[in-house]
Amino acid sequence: MQTRFTNRFLPYLLLSPSVAIVVIFLVIPTIQSLYLSFFRISPFGDRKIYVGLSNFSKLFESEAYWNSLIITLIFALAVVAIGISLAVVLASFLNLKLRGMTTVRVLMIWTYAISPALAGTIWALMFDPSSGPLVYIVRQLFGVRLNWMMSGNIALVAIIIAASWKMLGYNIIFFLAGLQMIPDELLEAASIDGASPVRRFFRITLPLLSPTTFFLLIMNTLYAFFQVFGLIDVMTRGGPGDATEVLIYKLYRDGFVTMDTGYASAQSVVLFVFVAILTVLQFKYAERRVFYG
Amino acid sequence: MKRVLAVILVLTLVLAGIALGQIRITFWHAMSGARLQAIEDLVNGFNAENPDIRVEAMFTGTYAETITKAVANYRAGNPPHIVQVYEVGLQTMLDSGAIYPVYEIAGPDYDWGDVIGPISSYYTVDGLLYSMPFNSSTAILYYNKDIFEKAGLDPKKPPTTFQELYDYSMQIINSGAAPGGVSFGWPAWIFEQMHAYHNQFYANNDNGRSALATEVLFNGEFGVKVMAEWIKWAQDGVFVYGGREYSANQAFLTGQVAMLIQSTSSVASIERAADFEVGTTFLPRLPGYPIGNSVIGGATLWVMKGHSDEVYDAIWRFLQYTMRTDVTKQWHKDTGYFPATNTAVKELLDEGWFSENPNHLTAFLQILTGTRGEAAQGVRLGNFVAIRDVVDSAVERAVQYRGTDYEKEAKRILDDAVRTSNRLLSEYISLYGQ
Repeated sequence: MQTRFTNRFLPYLLLSPSVAIVVIFLVIPTIQSLYLSFFRISPFGDRKIYVGLSNFSKLFESEAYWNSLIITLIFALAVVAIGISLAVVLASFLNLKLRGMTTVRVLMIWTYAISPALAGTIWALMFDPSSGPLVYIVRQLFGVRLNWMMSGNIALVAIIIAASWKMLGYNIIFFLAGLQMIPDELLEAASIDGASPVRRFFRITLPLLSPTTFFLLIMNTLYAFFQVFGLIDVMTRGGPGDATEVLIYKLYRDGFVTMDTGYASAQSVVLFVFVAILTVLQFKYAERRVFYG
Repeated sequence: MKRVLAVILVLTLVLAGIALGQIRITFWHAMSGARLQAIEDLVNGFNAENPDIRVEAMFTGTYAETITKAVANYRAGNPPHIVQVYEVGLQTMLDSGAIYPVYEIAGPDYDWGDVIGPISSYYTVDGLLYSMPFNSSTAILYYNKDIFEKAGLDPKKPPTTFQELYDYSMQIINSGAAPGGVSFGWPAWIFEQMHAYHNQFYANNDNGRSALATEVLFNGEFGVKVMAEWIKWAQDGVFVYGGREYSANQAFLTGQVAMLIQSTSSVASIERAADFEVGTTFLPRLPGYPIGNSVIGGATLWVMKGHSDEVYDAIWRFLQYTMRTDVTKQWHKDTGYFPATNTAVKELLDEGWFSENPNHLTAFLQILTGTRGEAAQGVRLGNFVAIRDVVDSAVERAVQYRGTDYEKEAKRILDDAVRTSNRLLSEYISLYGQ
């Protein structure tokens, strides 16, 4: 299936736009942040002092940073676990051949199409301490007044729910695609052998979904680490205290609210290491030649 | 086809002519909610009177977001002409090297004497005004008279001390008149207010007014006392924490709390939205501490450097317009911010505005009845935006405390916040020198 280019420069020419985009938007900023992480810079950028590695030492000595790291890990773990397990269950139901299922599928998937700001607003209203419906229901059922502005744990739960919900549609699409790749004969054979639906699910469906699951594991982890800024900014702004200040939000706060560009750059370098590790995982996975979508 | 092209060509030329003749001024602001309409009315009024100038007002998010955007655009070589910066950004803007001071635009002969005393003294640096006073406010106590009545309290006797505020709140909660006592907007600012209001220094070097502050002092005996009280209030359900800006207003308007400590800039919108009788009064005091004064908050208008004289003339005309008596009066009526000049105050008084709208008067009386104590001037800090954030986090941590040793926990949280703040101050000084 190999095609030869008649002009040997043509392939490079065709590649150049992508290369240019990668260089301009990824490589140069990365080098810049590495460079900036060695400086202390005034907000307006008119003064710059070389400080060596002190931004990094400040980072690792900072209790707030470790706290943020722990929160990020808890948050990511919860979002990935809830997002994936709920999606696989929902996708299995959505895979049933019933009337009107297409409509139900669309309803389940569309959360992914909602912008983070809108999703954040929806959940902020749901959890509003004085008028939120969720708060009202909990108060009626358990007599407890939820106030996420006064409880870090509730705030963390709230953003975990919102973030998992937001990613649910994405996960369901992939699981649905994965489920539809599973040959019916396998399930029928198992059924004839007397395997219960639960057993079939755990023994056949789940193992055959594993490539999809692994792919989603990576995507959801990336999401939980890097793509939740909008949601958190709209909902908790990292608060109360710093109970929901995940790494990406802390970076924003130090870089753009505190305007400590050097310190924020150091954080972005550390975050870059996280990305690198995650990307390596992804590449390893891609080599297994999994078909998705 | 040719005719269409000709029409387009003519139109372009006409528009270009207009564009050439008109000076465009970009004005970034952070006025949300009811304030947004008020500022747009103000700008439209100016544009209608000055066909050769076009001020384009743009809402650029919260105060913190607005200053951030202005900085980013300045660094990218594309700053707005005028940017509204809150009082917290004062030191940053002064040191930025990015501004054209308003006193220079105005020239040496301009008489600033008409600007209301507390406002000009808050913003004056070495005898000069670097930015245009625009929307100045202070914090006052709002209360729901209907809830007071329902709880068997006298709606003509709002609390004057911390203890009264606590006792009244307990009575309100226990009688079922409202589920909570009080909520705050801008918690860190209220904490600053409390210091000035009791004439307590918030930072060294005379609150950073005689030289750049090197240390904050809010973990002293007074700061701990205030924070411990707030912890107690929060634990007993008296204090319902309501976010960092204006979200507390919602709890007050829906009757979830009976009282609200908030900026005067909410007077107009609260009176308009409330379906109960709104009362306002002075901030509650802690007896046994000296009397100071509440501090000016809000924002001023900064002019960025690097434009032509012609543009600065246009900017100056707009800035003067914002201070014109009828304009600043309307601004006050629409929002609750102080009018900028004494002339405007006198006219409002003569018109009977204050007797018809006593809630618009409360802030004036509070500021006038305070002292001009040395610590009552309000604090000026480098990296203040970040320090505000640190103190907001401290308050949020405090109200989550579930233990019993309030003072110890308050001290621990404030010590933490002071450490972080002092590091921010020393970093600032390392950049700009003492």
